[in-house]
Amino acid sequence: MDFPLNYNQPLIMHVDLNSCFAIIEQQANPLIRHKPVAVAAYDSPRGAVIASSYEAKALGIKLMVNVREARMLAKDVIILTPDPEKYFDAHRRFKKVLLNYTDEVTPKSVDEFIVDFSGSQAIQKGLSLEEVGLRIKQDIKDSLGEYVTVNIGIAPNRFLAKLAAGLHKPDGLDVITGDNLREIYSQLVLTDLPGINTRYEARLNYAGIYTPLQFLDAPEWQLRKEVFKSIVGHYWYLRLRGHEIDNVDFGRKSFGQQYALGDKTKDREKISRLLMKLSEKTGRRLRKQDYEAWGIHLWLSFENRTYWSKGKKTKSAIYSTQDIYLQAQRLLNQINIPARVTNIGVTVFNLQPASPTQLGLFDNTRLDARSIAKAADEVNDRYGEFTLVPATMANMQDIILKRVAFGSVRDL
Amino acid sequence: MREKINEEVSVVMYYSAKKRLAQPHTISWQNREYKVGKIGYHHPVWDGKTLHHIFELVDVGQTIWFRLNFDTSNLHWLLEAVSDGLPT
Repeated sequence: MDFPLNYNQPLIMHVDLNSCFAIIEQQANPLIRHKPVAVAAYDSPRGAVIASSYEAKALGIKLMVNVREARMLAKDVIILTPDPEKYFDAHRRFKKVLLNYTDEVTPKSVDEFIVDFSGSQAIQKGLSLEEVGLRIKQDIKDSLGEYVTVNIGIAPNRFLAKLAAGLHKPDGLDVITGDNLREIYSQLVLTDLPGINTRYEARLNYAGIYTPLQFLDAPEWQLRKEVFKSIVGHYWYLRLRGHEIDNVDFGRKSFGQQYALGDKTKDREKISRLLMKLSEKTGRRLRKQDYEAWGIHLWLSFENRTYWSKGKKTKSAIYSTQDIYLQAQRLLNQINIPARVTNIGVTVFNLQPASPTQLGLFDNTRLDARSIAKAADEVNDRYGEFTLVPATMANMQDIILKRVAFGSVRDL
Repeated sequence: MREKINEEVSVVMYYSAKKRLAQPHTISWQNREYKVGKIGYHHPVWDGKTLHHIFELVDVGQTIWFRLNFDTSNLHWLLEAVSDGLPT
């Protein structure tokens, strides 16, 4: 099968905020601008860096180095802990700016958007997408602040738009079309392509493909049968040529919550209390999106670098915090804890829209679990998170802080 | 270095109908008055049904950064944190 390059007008824009959390902190505090800043999950020595400013990156402080390592790389690095509400606010402002140009705005994460300009009024007014991109850059500065910059990539498909957005960081604006595609590929290495990691690179190398141009020129059958050994090869063949195959919106499949224990423990009672809080947070999100779940998964990791996980499908719907906690606790009871627990996570899956329970003859005559869960949610909506909590969670207000999800922004 | 304060403070605020802009003007803290310079970021935070406005700003001399929390349920100002912009 031979497929030509896509020479259509590029109408897909990828916009991403540079070093998102770090730059928002630098915007908020002018005294730390132009300085190495790292946002870390915790400011304790083993806290992982989740975002670093360009100044910090230049000193080698990259994602997932810990605070101690960051301080060894640059002793004047400013370490901050995350402020999720501020980042969510920035995300909403960012989205609002883009929605002024078209309704076809898809968030890919808290700091990345895909904008489809097919049929947008901005284009119909005769503006080029580069002009629109420059206006968006200015609008984002007006909305979020003068220090905030974005990378913009414009191309005929999402893959090339993301590639274009990464060509000239920070504050880039690049266009990839069928005309300059080969020239762009000739300046890159395989791992510069979004979605090609070192594992995929090794597979490609094994098939004699060492550069993006060789990847582009590889026949479809080779990618499908030799390299990826599946339909994925066909998708890469199309993607590399600028044809759209990534505009699929996968529905939500699970809700989960995890926690890294600052105070590691083997104490089952303490672990159960954390489990209850994780169950409450998971349950709040599940109910807010009006789902029930029919499966649960619990995982623990330990100080001795071992890992345990167990999941099961359930015979009844999981809806209330107590449902989640009871099922998770049953899983927890099955493990002999080998060492102090460092991380714990709960996920509920097999989601279905929360159905009204079957009407019973004596409905509304007693408080059932769903009514209690809904009533508790209403109290917490009104007076703040964890105002009304199960007794197991008493005095746990400050444990398990709100975290920023990198991938999903469906709850925002 | 950033330092948590969590103290109620006196704040003079102004509102410009022309610019449709409301923001702190002067902060009194530790027997000193700080005139507000650049507002770095302002965002709302909901605590249940209570709306808080968070202002992150520096004084005109750009010596101190303040994080102020305006509680709209009682109209009180809380100074949550300060920073001199230096590493810890």
